[in-house]
Amino acid sequence: MYDTSKTADSATEQMSTKFHCADVQVFYGETHAIKDVNVDIQDKTVTAFIGPSGCGKSTFLRCLNRMNDTIDVARVQGTILLDGEDVYDARVDPVQLRAKVGMVFQKPNPFPKSIYENVAYGPKIHGMARNKADLDVIVERALRRAALWDEVKDRLDASGTGLSGGQQQRLCIARAVATEPEVLLMDEPASALDPIATSQIEELIDELRQNYAVVIVTHSMQQAARVSQKTAFFHLGNLVEYDDTSKIFTNPEDPRTESYITGRIG
Amino acid sequence: MTDAAAQPSAAPAHGSLAGASNRLRQRRRAQTRLKAYGIAAIAFALLALATLVGSVVVKATGALTNTHFTYEMTLSTEALGVTPESPPEEILRAPYGDLIDEALEARFPLATGRTARREVDALVSNGAQFQLAQHVVENPELLGQSVTYPLIASDRTDYYFQGGYGDLLTPEVAGRLTVTGSEDGTLDIRSSEEDFAEALQTVKQSLYGDADRLREQAARQQNAVRVYGERAAAAETEEAREAQLERQAQAEAKRDDLLAEAEALEERAAADAGTEPLDAENISLLIEAGGGWIKMTEVNRSGGEGVALTEVDLPIETSADWRFRTTTLPEGSRRVSDRQIAWLETLKAEGAVERDFNTRFFTAADSRAPELAGIRGALVGSFWTMMVTFALAFPIGVLAAIYLEEFAPKNRFTNFIEVNINNLAAVPSIVYGLLGLAVFINVFGVPRSAPLAGGLVLTLMTLPTIIIAARAAIKAVPPSIREAALGVGASKMQASFHHVLPLAMPGILTGTIIGMAQALGETAPLIMIGMVAFIVETPSGITDSATVLPVQIFRWYDFPEPGFEARAAAAICVLLTFLIAMNALAIFLRKRFERRW
Repeated sequence: MYDTSKTADSATEQMSTKFHCADVQVFYGETHAIKDVNVDIQDKTVTAFIGPSGCGKSTFLRCLNRMNDTIDVARVQGTILLDGEDVYDARVDPVQLRAKVGMVFQKPNPFPKSIYENVAYGPKIHGMARNKADLDVIVERALRRAALWDEVKDRLDASGTGLSGGQQQRLCIARAVATEPEVLLMDEPASALDPIATSQIEELIDELRQNYAVVIVTHSMQQAARVSQKTAFFHLGNLVEYDDTSKIFTNPEDPRTESYITGRIG
Repeated sequence: MTDAAAQPSAAPAHGSLAGASNRLRQRRRAQTRLKAYGIAAIAFALLALATLVGSVVVKATGALTNTHFTYEMTLSTEALGVTPESPPEEILRAPYGDLIDEALEARFPLATGRTARREVDALVSNGAQFQLAQHVVENPELLGQSVTYPLIASDRTDYYFQGGYGDLLTPEVAGRLTVTGSEDGTLDIRSSEEDFAEALQTVKQSLYGDADRLREQAARQQNAVRVYGERAAAAETEEAREAQLERQAQAEAKRDDLLAEAEALEERAAADAGTEPLDAENISLLIEAGGGWIKMTEVNRSGGEGVALTEVDLPIETSADWRFRTTTLPEGSRRVSDRQIAWLETLKAEGAVERDFNTRFFTAADSRAPELAGIRGALVGSFWTMMVTFALAFPIGVLAAIYLEEFAPKNRFTNFIEVNINNLAAVPSIVYGLLGLAVFINVFGVPRSAPLAGGLVLTLMTLPTIIIAARAAIKAVPPSIREAALGVGASKMQASFHHVLPLAMPGILTGTIIGMAQALGETAPLIMIGMVAFIVETPSGITDSATVLPVQIFRWYDFPEPGFEARAAAAICVLLTFLIAMNALAIFLRKRFERRW
């Protein structure tokens, strides 16, 4: 569907590092869930995290916007820098961070409110709009970016939960981009969707790449190959290999990576 | 190829589909039995509920109506000692009670003597004079005029007209009545037919009861005879033996007397004819004739003797215009005498008795007299108490639930608190009453008997219910909603209050309403803090002395007057109506706004 090798090449050349992660460790109580992960995530690039279930890819993703803070037993060690600033610095307010690093979850989770309210909530609590007109503009822009505007512009007051699964997920993406984030984290955004909705989401991810750094966790290697320029392979809490997507899928260095993409483990 | 497919001719392991095996039949029977038990249990529960509600409603009908007298009387300025120009305080204090009583006594001139006059006065409620006084103060021009003001009847009058003291029957009569008077006031009553034969039989039936009682006493004497005989046989000295024998002879004589008496009674009872005297243990035989009421004191098959209860035009000679009335209860078993029945029936025949819907029950506060008592005071007291309870329990409960569910760290301490909140829900409510008495009233000096104190105690009692319900409702909100809110940069508090709380609200409200319903029906802790007092004033705030509906019911059931029992039953109906309405609202909220994920 996408010519990943070309886009990846052109992307990596001009991109700067958005996230710099060094020696990241995550513990869930006694469990050592993430071990010594070092990775640099680049701006205006789609980075895919792949790996078998329970390998820690989602955990690592959630470290990037400190969503792990909500889990009492989770501890994070190591350095995660966003544009050179330490995300886990005591002075950093996770709320501020999450406005900059938006997140889309596995299952579409729109608020049980109107479509408009769903998108407007983030900008409202961050004080991004001074009046209703400003907010209207922000909502429309976010919905257009999420390729949902044409489908819902006539029923912005309808409930967000009344949309189809694919539309709901795009609504969640619109909600995430409404706060003008710099990075979008997506935790298996298409796993609960049918193939048509999945391809719409994938197209959307490719478009979002022009404005944001996108990090996507996926179980589908085809999806990783289709949408990403960089791919990181996790296995048992370790980052096994991180490279250009084309290289990972055609010529992996680590035998574990090769086993996974050829379907022998996972 | 599997084995099963390879051997199609082998006997199927489960038998034929149509013929059920023994095991299957047994299983089916067990299931049928279980269903039958379930249906029986439900039927029993429904029957119990229907009986309960039915008996309460039937009893409550007595409080639905009350009785008024509407006889005419003159508001004489001399008797009252006031004129329309007198200041309102004086008009209010004038002796209306005497006026009312005298008007009624004048109506029944045969009621002479203290007892009779008191019986006349007892027909009208004590509260009537205050109502009349209030009416006259508002309309002073009525003074000196003849008015017909509805005077509220006393509890026993009301109960009589409800049939609480049995019915007044009218047996068929065929003969013509002749009544002649004599010097000492007794009346000789004769009918041309044997109109009293049936009544005589009924009276005689009671003789059998008397005879049975005598025979019981005789049996006791017989026992004494036996005991004395044994003692005499066992006596050591001759003197002692003789003393015992003497006592035995006395007992024998008593026994024989009693038996003879009983036999005589039974003989009398068996005989068709004869004359029987009537007392308060017999049903009353009354005769309506000559414009008045006669009570029979002696009865035979076709007549007897009697006394006039109200003025009767004598003599009555072979008159067909008479009615024989019998009560179903003896005079000794009712709180209205025969005289009072005669007066009440006379007033009723004149159209001076009205029965109408008892609005007083809803507009009046408590009273010592059942006919004056109403639930308004208790209802308002309950309202204030519930207001205090809701204003405290709802915010505290919801905030505690949010803190525990969303913010509190999960450690031993919060676990301990959680377990104890669940335990508190099971603490007997009277313990909260003790706590309220010791802490709120004795330490903090909250006024006793006030809705504030009651509300505080009920808050303690309701809090666990609300916290548990609110926590369950908050827990039921899927974590994805919280994540979504946190994901767009909401703080934990914003996520809780903007998203989790609104979604949990139907569940929280349901729990709160159920907790409030529980508090509304609570009695024990309120008795502890003195809300059981007799309060005649409707409370106007949360610091006034007050009582609440369930305590009012409890108090009313404590009184012997049947009117209070009816009012208590009616108050139960009101309380149940509120409880059912609250529970219906809770169910409505749950059905209407509940969201499933």
